[in-house]
Amino acid sequence: MVIDIPFIWVAFKEIAKAIPLTLMLAIIPVVIGFFIGLVVTLIREYKVKGLYSIANGYVSFFRGTPAIMHIMLIYFGIPMVLDSIINSLNLPYETNKIPIYLYVIFALSLTAGAYLSEIIRSGISSVAKGQMEAAYSIGMSTPQAMGRILLPQALAMSIPNFTNLSVGFLHTTSIAFLVSQKELTGMANIVASSNLKFLESFIAAGLIYWGISIIMEGIYYLIEKRVQQYSKGGVA
Amino acid sequence: MISISNLHKKFGKNEVLKGINIQIDKGDVISILGPSGSGKTTLLRCINYLERPDEGTITIDDVTIDSKKVHKKDVYQLRRKSAMVFQSYNLFQHKTVLQNVMEGLVVVQKVNVKEAREIALEMLKKVGLEQKVDAYPLQLSGGQQQRVGIARALALNPEVILFDEPTSALDPELVGEVLDVIRKISREGITMIIVTHEMNFAKEVSNRVIFMDGGVVVEEGVPNDIFRTPKEDRTKQFLKRMTPELEYSI
Amino acid sequence: MGKVFDPSLILEFIPTLVKYLGVTLEILVASIFLGTIIGIAAAIPKLFHIPIVKQLVTIYISFIRGTPIIIQLFLVFYGLPAVLSIINIDISRMDALYFVIITYSLSNGAIFAEIFRGAISAVEFGQTEAAYSIGMTPFQNFTRIVFPQAIRVAFPNIANTVIGSLKDTSLAFTIGVMDMMGRGETIIAATAHALEVYIALSVVYYVVVLILEKGFKVFEKYANRYRGTDTSVA
Repeated sequence: MVIDIPFIWVAFKEIAKAIPLTLMLAIIPVVIGFFIGLVVTLIREYKVKGLYSIANGYVSFFRGTPAIMHIMLIYFGIPMVLDSIINSLNLPYETNKIPIYLYVIFALSLTAGAYLSEIIRSGISSVAKGQMEAAYSIGMSTPQAMGRILLPQALAMSIPNFTNLSVGFLHTTSIAFLVSQKELTGMANIVASSNLKFLESFIAAGLIYWGISIIMEGIYYLIEKRVQQYSKGGVA
Repeated sequence: MISISNLHKKFGKNEVLKGINIQIDKGDVISILGPSGSGKTTLLRCINYLERPDEGTITIDDVTIDSKKVHKKDVYQLRRKSAMVFQSYNLFQHKTVLQNVMEGLVVVQKVNVKEAREIALEMLKKVGLEQKVDAYPLQLSGGQQQRVGIARALALNPEVILFDEPTSALDPELVGEVLDVIRKISREGITMIIVTHEMNFAKEVSNRVIFMDGGVVVEEGVPNDIFRTPKEDRTKQFLKRMTPELEYSI
Repeated sequence: MGKVFDPSLILEFIPTLVKYLGVTLEILVASIFLGTIIGIAAAIPKLFHIPIVKQLVTIYISFIRGTPIIIQLFLVFYGLPAVLSIINIDISRMDALYFVIITYSLSNGAIFAEIFRGAISAVEFGQTEAAYSIGMTPFQNFTRIVFPQAIRVAFPNIANTVIGSLKDTSLAFTIGVMDMMGRGETIIAATAHALEVYIALSVVYYVVVLILEKGFKVFEKYANRYRGTDTSVA
């Protein structure tokens, strides 16, 4: 068996068409997950009655199980729940018309929410206690102190973790091919089996993922440099 | 016993030591004074070869190193003749107080553990920390950590102990306990070189004072002469700034 | 998805799946062990700035960190036999399990290399100076002073990597390994009760992760006993 190097380029061009879907599956869940994570963090920080243990259980379970389980549980579970609602109310909808990528996005948003909640929480705990006290001392309310003092610093400190998580989620989208999504891995699989050139196709896919990962890290690096200017210190 | 000759050290283009010559006898307690950036700490670190000088020789006891031809073995030999007490203590954070003091004895000097423990306990008693043998460094105050640092150095029974601003990192109320320990051991005939900003302490504890500025030894002599009748203008200015309460004739 | 959801099946599936937990753990233990060795070997050229090797290691780490584990798995599965066939070694009939172990070892190795390097640089240089000042050799300094402290810094990250790696083993079935997940897929093929199987699998993975987390926590508490500033403060 010889590696067909020119075919890598052919496969590359074909597989690259799946970049938009991959980015959509990677970015939307992280954005939705950010808001889930924020809400969950606040529930856990302020020990909101009733919701506190649910929030803890949610974070623990989603961090403690593989993401592929989340996709499968949502992909098989949600239609079942929806079908029983539709049937009992006699609604004119069909769950099999729901595009699969919505399940994937929903599942990965829940996954991202759990991880982001931990990231935001550790960011908050790394902000000095005196910051909140100083905010109170000038008469801020708790939401003001949170929103204007604590969170901006906590999020700025969390940027390296956000980077890792985002790149991690780009990679996690590869399992969407198991529910027949034509994202990068799914497309690579198709190109591979229809041309019987497996290695070449996956080399091409690997190069694309690698490239996107490096670009993502670069973007975050620029953001980090801009955002964390205040923490540079220096001699005054 | 200790002899430093023609020592030069550059950091980039900045020449920090410009030819230092010092002779030290056994039992001497030397204080090195001088403004920040005068090269005092670098000199000390060169004596322990934590910095490698660009030029010059260092002799402690029977070990001599010429910076032109440095052998690893000689460096180890030289370091065994000396011990260092750091400004920021540098205790081994993952080891207890007792283990910190025993470490050099067991690992470097190959003393057996039982004997090393006895020596370590004795040294810790000397610095007044026999109650803290099982504590970890981060559980101690700065003053206590520095006393452990001194015990660690003492335990090795070196030819010379080098003190690099041992009280500079301490809160003012903790300086006294460390100086008391150094004062105590200075009476035991151990050779010591102390870089310090504590003028009164230097005056009281040392039998010779070296004043450095701009990478050279400006003046040296017994404390009474240096503090009361300094000859060089740079020494006068420095002492005037540091010890407004000291009187000296001009 | 055709069949009606039957919760009792979940309990029925769990014992069947647990029988295959051994394969999952075999992949995990082997790849963590080999990954540690690779990680140490890869961290050394970066710590000591060995030219060329250092650049190669950087590319290796960047590639592993820049690609999904499933792509790495496919590359090893299809690529290794191709590469070895050049020197007339035929491994195309090798058990898929070994391809998985090789892939996960390479993946963990890159992650460990970064963890080790970071942890070693995190130990203050003053510790090394103190070691030298009492006459230690660089080797003694590394083994007795730097490494024990670095391993404690690295531990939380190592624990995370182990747990992440356990979760990643759930993809081994894609090249035909009969681990817990692989067995789950065959149950689905036979019974069409997919949701019940995935719930059962989730429960098993979750319990294993909880046990690992608990174990790591106990160990970490022990390893970090010297960090507490609240005991016996003067």
